[in-house]
This record gives sequence, structure tokens and C-alpha cells, in this order.
Amino acid sequence: MALLVVPACLLVLALLIGPMILMFRISLNQFSPTQLMVQALSPDNYIKAATDPYYQQIILATLGIALLCTLLTLILAFPAAYWLGRMESRWKSLVVIATLFPLLVGNVVRSAGWMALFARDGLVNTSLLKLGVISAPLEIMYTTKAVIIGIIAVVLPYMILTLSAVIESIPRDLEYAAANLGASGARVFWRVILPLSGPGVAAGSILVFVLCMNTYATAVLLGGPRFKMMAPAVYDQFVRGNNWPMGAALAFMLLAVTMAFTVFGSVAFARKYRTG
Amino acid sequence: MAQLTLEKLTKRFGTSIGVESLDLSVNEGELVALLGPSGCGKTTTLRMVAGFLPPTSGRVLFDREDVTQLPAYKRATGMVFQSYALFPHMSAADNVGFGLEMRGLNAAQRKTKIDEALKLVRLSHLADRLPRQLSGGQQQRVALARALVINPRIFLLDEPLSNLDAKLRAEVRLEIRALQQRLGLTTLMVTHDREEALTMADRLVVMDGGRVRQIGTPQQLYDSPVDAFVADFVGRCNILSGRRANEREFRTTGGLLLPTDVASSERDDADAFALRPERITVVAGETGEVRGRVQAITYMGAQTEYVVALGDETLVAVRPTPDAGEPLAALKPHDAVSLQWDRKVPRLVPQTSK
Amino acid sequence: MISRRHFLSASAGVAALASGMPTARAEGGQVVVGTWGGDYGQLLSDIIDKPIMAPKGFEIVQDVANADPRKTKLLAERQSRRGSMDVSCLSDNDAYIVSQSDVFEKIDAAQVKRLDKVFPELKSDIAIPHIYSAQVILYNTNQVKTPPQSFADLWDPKWRGKIGLADILYPNNTLAAALAGGGGVSNLDPAEKKLMEWRSLDVKIYPSNEALAAALKSEEVWLTTMWLARGFMWKKSGIPLAHVVPKEGTPAIVFQASVPKNAKNKAGGFAYLDAMLDAKAQGGFADKMGYVPTVTDAPLPEDLAKQVSLTEAERARLLKPDYAYAAGRSQRTLDFWNKEFKA
Repeated sequence: MALLVVPACLLVLALLIGPMILMFRISLNQFSPTQLMVQALSPDNYIKAATDPYYQQIILATLGIALLCTLLTLILAFPAAYWLGRMESRWKSLVVIATLFPLLVGNVVRSAGWMALFARDGLVNTSLLKLGVISAPLEIMYTTKAVIIGIIAVVLPYMILTLSAVIESIPRDLEYAAANLGASGARVFWRVILPLSGPGVAAGSILVFVLCMNTYATAVLLGGPRFKMMAPAVYDQFVRGNNWPMGAALAFMLLAVTMAFTVFGSVAFARKYRTG
Repeated sequence: MAQLTLEKLTKRFGTSIGVESLDLSVNEGELVALLGPSGCGKTTTLRMVAGFLPPTSGRVLFDREDVTQLPAYKRATGMVFQSYALFPHMSAADNVGFGLEMRGLNAAQRKTKIDEALKLVRLSHLADRLPRQLSGGQQQRVALARALVINPRIFLLDEPLSNLDAKLRAEVRLEIRALQQRLGLTTLMVTHDREEALTMADRLVVMDGGRVRQIGTPQQLYDSPVDAFVADFVGRCNILSGRRANEREFRTTGGLLLPTDVASSERDDADAFALRPERITVVAGETGEVRGRVQAITYMGAQTEYVVALGDETLVAVRPTPDAGEPLAALKPHDAVSLQWDRKVPRLVPQTSK
Repeated sequence: MISRRHFLSASAGVAALASGMPTARAEGGQVVVGTWGGDYGQLLSDIIDKPIMAPKGFEIVQDVANADPRKTKLLAERQSRRGSMDVSCLSDNDAYIVSQSDVFEKIDAAQVKRLDKVFPELKSDIAIPHIYSAQVILYNTNQVKTPPQSFADLWDPKWRGKIGLADILYPNNTLAAALAGGGGVSNLDPAEKKLMEWRSLDVKIYPSNEALAAALKSEEVWLTTMWLARGFMWKKSGIPLAHVVPKEGTPAIVFQASVPKNAKNKAGGFAYLDAMLDAKAQGGFADKMGYVPTVTDAPLPEDLAKQVSLTEAERARLLKPDYAYAAGRSQRTLDFWNKEFKA
């Protein structure tokens, strides 16, 4: 059996670890505007990235957005996940597919859709203006709001499906038992459903957090040129600045922060719900 | 403890019937068992009493209070689930304390009651264990303590023994019954196991297809089933279809004449002859009215089962295992035997009652 | 400053039908052209690939991408013996940066017969000039009644919140700021102060040229600095725009094409470069995209010339980029744009 794992491991090694090592090597090089980069072994790029208030601010903003989006996604996904997890209809598989459906549309295309909605003369503004709800168009495009809405729309299906799988595995009888013992709906949720959804909450949050941390298309298209997140900053260095070493260093910084928070979160969570 | 009354309680799922117009009352301190095959509506009834399912029509009353619209968490029923439904993330003590916490008791008050309840089920020493660290029987007792500690108005048991092994089952059966009688719990129990129902319940409700077939004491149901279904479901029974031939005989569809006393069967639509195996006496040799040949003999310890062919029909008789030397002890397959029974014992019933 | 001769000739009417001229030889084979998609790629296909290259037995494959990925690709592939492109289309600035890594073949006059028709000022060792345009001020004629005359005028507080810039044109926006602040193609220092002033005047930034065009159309902003050629296209699409050639000078942009040293089909690449200089093809690009021909023998119709070419006086203000200076400063320009201006 163990042998069967070998091809997958080799594939991961070749396609993931290999490029990462290469990237790490690049991050130690020095930038040259005309030669792309000069071979070197120096931590300069990391020092520059870590000490530059500009990147510190971007990392913080990225973290903030990712954490906020993860929390909002969790809150928004829970009712849907519960409904899906408790669904016994024969349409269930159709609903699951419908949940997955948005993922079939690329982030760019989806963002284009949001742009059409959010623009000054977009659907949201024209509708609200026509209805007389607002007197001047709302500035939604190129705001943090737009990015948060866009990101949540992207990651929501992941959270819903992860949570619903776990909720499905919580016996319905436990809810009945809690109600039987005098717990109202809210208390059944807080005392039984939520703690027992722990593994799903953790897995979904980590998945969504990592996706949020690496948001690119949504941030660029809905956030506009002034909106700062790490992935576009990495892209900027690689492609616009042609500064591969700095781009690589920033990419590793993003990776490190994402991993640190993921591990920290998992450990904290495991400690809180040590139920096994 | 309260009296439980169900009035024309009905549950339909779409067009299919869950429970149809069920009338039942469970007196204070009484244990009533709902008995029937799966899908008969017994669990649906229990869930409506607990408040997990809203009835399509009809009423549920605790004493004179109509609780039909009351949400489950306000009904104060204590239920033991088939799966026990213990909260896997809470210790035994916390499981027992959950209902008390929901009732707003402080930690100290809870502690006293939890200790008491765990002592009642003899689990004080395992209070801190998580459910998965307990055996099936122990989990069952935690579930029992959890349901009882809140002083429920109605005690509900959903197949409480089905997840236990046979030996434990007999033990716990008596234990629950003793507890129920001692505490005077008004209890509604659901089971598909007739032995469980017969040994534990004051009265039984036999259900099939969402409808009540018969309500009565175990003895009434055992000795005077209203139809072949109840007769068969409440215990092993020889059921032969046919028509009554005259005042003193029943003619099976195979043409066999069986002694009976029509006066003991009130129903005109009777088309089945029901006779319990242990009511039949087996005599070696062709001496009696009903004669046949032994088809199979099965030794079952204290009892022995004889399958006897009477023309195209077969009857099963169960007798105490004969001592060596008795004529029956020498009986072998294909031997000729006579079967005898008290003429007043067989019931002539309809195959199905409407 | 670029000499003005070739601008004149754009409408001078020197006729020579390049398509009829004899070509080197029908080498054939596949030619991979690294180009932009959209209109540019489509026009290449319609005007060059099908009518000129295909009859000679070439199969043209477009490798469509934006300039940045293409630059990166060229640099990344420079060590490999066989590159993925036979022709690389880039702006003059980008081509300069990439050429510093010695990735382009020297232009072979023997293989690019049309080279002798190219305006000498636009010639380069490593590329042929395909089309060019100039950076001007565009304004919405409905809203702006007294248009600014210089880049510096764009800092007038009366345009607060009404100036839009394309994020991707940050080097050009920076150059405009430098010019407004008294700098020039070889001195971008004054740009930084002017950019910050602009920022405090609520200048708006759009992620793409298309987003900027939409904003000009909806009158969210009224003014911008942009290639005259693009302004021409936007006008054609119905946006009420007019242009001003700024007093400080009007930076030129030349879209070039080169053959990488590791091209698989160099002969095909050069044949393609030659075809890009075809007089009829040059006229086609001017008509459709508003860029000005780079060869002496591709006259434009008068009314078209009026819209896409510069007047004599304006031509005098054309600025040729200082490639080396711009390249050396590229990281600082980007960093300032991102970290200070857009912060």
C-alpha cells in the first residue's frame, strides 16, 4: 500500500517542492534592471521586505482582510452548511453541485461580473438611484468593501462544503437530545453543533484563510490600483519591476506569515476543542 | 409525573401515512410500549410526543395541558435515545448536567443532582469519562441518568435496549422497569422486540402501517389477539387460514378440521385459526382427534419444538423437554403423533383487522 | 528631439507598393510572433499574416501576452538554446531593457529589405520600428471648455478629482509629472514632488486603459495623458475627446519588433519584420489604431493624418526617451509609484 503513495509524493516533490526551492534560490539573488538578476547569496531582499514599512503595511492589510473575510465567510456559510448538511432530499447532490458551480467560473470572469454590478453606472447604483434609495452613486468599486465582497463570493463554497460535510456527520439525535433537555435552538447551536463542528470550522477556516491571503485577481480588479495586498505586490515585483529576487522574497514572506497563522490557529483551536 | 393523552394524533408525510388518528392515554406511573415492525409509526408517535415532529392533526396533552404547539425544549420530557445521543464532547457528568444547566441551576446545585443521578445508575466512579471511553451499557446508563435528572413530566424510551448484547439486555430491562416503578414514571416506550414489550410494559399498543391494531395488557394481547397480525407479532403462533366449519370445528383451506369452540371467537369475519405452540400437547401414536407425522424435532434446552405435518398443513408445538424414558423422548421424525389442545384456547381471528 | 522629416512624410504621398515588391525568398516554415492580443494582434493577422506571409508559405502562430510576461519570457529564456518566439513585439522602452541582456539578433539589412525606407531616427540595431505615437493630453470636450496647454496645467486645482491616470502607464505618467516639474526624459527627479502634489489633488487611478476610457466616457474624470493613437481609437468609439500636444514636449513611443537570438526560425522572423514595414500594412495600422507609419512610403489620407499625426509645431516638441536612464531608474519609478504615490 505504501508503495502506491510514491507516485503522488514524487509528483508533489517535482511540481511543488522543486519550484519552491528554485524560487528560494532566486530570492537570495540580487536584482539588476538589465540582466534580470545577478547570482548572489544574500538575505538583503528579505531584510528589505521585512523592514520596509510599505511591505509591513501590506502584510498587515492582507492579514486583516484575510482574517475578516474568513470570519465573515464562516458566519455566512454556517446556516447554508447546516441546511445542506441536514438535507435529506434527493436533490441534495444537485444542491452540492450548485454550490460548486460558482467555482467553475474563473476569478477574473467573476470579478468582471462584480465590476459590472459595482461600477458608478453599474447595476447596483442605477437600481438604487432609480428606486430613490440613494441620490448620488455609491463608490463601491475600488474599495475594500468591494474586495471583501468579491473574496467572500469566491471562498464561500469551500467553507460551505467543508462545514456541511462535518455537520452531516453530527447525529441529528444530538440536537433532539439537547432540545429534549431544554436547550433552545440557539443553545443547541452554541453548546452542541458548534463545538462538534470544530474540525470543520478549523479545516474550512484554514482553507479559506490561505485562499484569502493569496487573493490576486479579486484584489486587482475590484480593489483597483490603490488597493494593497501581498499577491499583487509579488506580481508587481516579478512582472512590472522585473525584480525576481524581491518578488521571490516577498512570496516567501507571504508564505511564512500564512503558515505561521495557520499553525498558530490550528494549535489554538486544538487546545480549545480537545475532544478528539 | 403527568398523564399523557394522545387525541386523534395524525402524521402524514406527503401522501404517505406516518401515524393515523392515534388515541391513547398513558396513566401516571404507567409504562406503555408501542410495539410494531419498523415503519409502523411507533417512533413517529414518540417524536411527536417529544416535540421533534409537529403532528399533521390531533393533540398531545400532558395532564390537561395541550402541548401540541409547545416546542420540544419546553416540554420537559426525558428521553432515552436508541443511539443514547450522548454529547461526545462532554463528560458523563456534563452530559447529565446539561439539562440542569438549561434549567438555570448553578454549578453547586447541579453537582448535587448529578452525583445523585449517577449514583442511581451506579456510575459515580465514571463521572469524568467521555462517552467514547464508556461501554455500551455504561453509555446507556448515562443516557438514563441524563433523562431522569431533570424530573421529566413524561419519560420516553426509544428502543432503549437494542444496542446492548442479549445478556445485558435482560439485566437492564429489569433495572429500567424497577427504576420506572420505583420513581413512578409515566413512560412511553418504543420497541420492536415483543419480549421486551411483554416483560416491561403495563400495556402494549401494537401498531402497523400507522394504525393501532390493539391496545391491552400483555396477557390480553397474548391470549386474545384481535387479528392474526397481533397474534403473530406478540408471540410465536400457529396461524392457519380457512373458515369455521361448524360450532366446534375450523376447516383450513387444506381441508383439515381442527377442534375449537366457536363461542370463544366473537368475530364473524374470522378467517384464521391462531394457536400458540406451547398450548399444544403432543402425544405419541395415533390416538387423538388430530393426527400427523413428526417432521422435525428441535431441542432448545428446557423446551423442545415439534414440527408436525397434518396433510398439507403444519403445526408447531413447544413442550417441556421430556425426561429420558418418557414416550415423547423416543420420538423421531416420521413417527405418528396426535396433537391435543383445549378447545377454548384457539382464537378464530381475521387475517387483518380494519 | 526626433527629427521631423518622417512625420512630414507620413502624409507626403510617396507611393510605392511594397506588396508588389520582390521578396527575399520563400523560406516558409512556422513563425511564432510574441505579440499583444486584442486589436493589435488581430490587425497583424489581418494585414500581415494572411495577405503577406501566408502566400510565401509561412505559417504564423501568435504567442499572445502582455508586454511584461513577454519581457520576462525573453529574459528567462535567454540561456536556452531555443527560444519560444521568432518575433517579439515590444515598446521601445521594453525592448531596450531586454536588449541589455543581449537577447536580440542584430537587424540584418539584407534580410529586411524595407529597412532603407524606415525613418533614420526610428532605426535601432536590434529592432525595427513598427508604428509609433506621442503622449498627449486628452480631455472631454463636453466638460472642458478651456483645455490645458501643458502638462503643468494639469496641476491646476480646478481639475481636482477630474484627472484620471492608467495604472499600467506609470512610467509615462511619471514622465509627464517630471516634465511638468521642469524635468525631462533624462531627469525624473522633479516627478516625485509633482506626483505627490497630484495625489493631493485627488487624481484618480484606473487599473487598465479600458477602465480609464470608461471613466472618461461616464465623465467620472475629464482629463488624462495618453497616447494620441489611443485617443484616436477612443474618439472613434464615441467618447467626446480632443487632444492637446503639451508645451513641455510630447514623449514618443515606438512599438518595435525584434528577432530573439535563440529564435528557431530566424529567417522567418526577419521576413516577418520586413512584412511589418510593408507600406500598405503600415497604412492599415494607422487607419485602425491611429499609430503613425514608420516608413517614408506609406502616406496617410489627409483627414486621417490630421487626427493621428502632429502639426509641424507640435512635431518640434517630440521627445525621444532616454532608455538607459529610464531603465536604470525603473525600480525607483515603480517603487515611488506604488509606495508613495498610490499609498
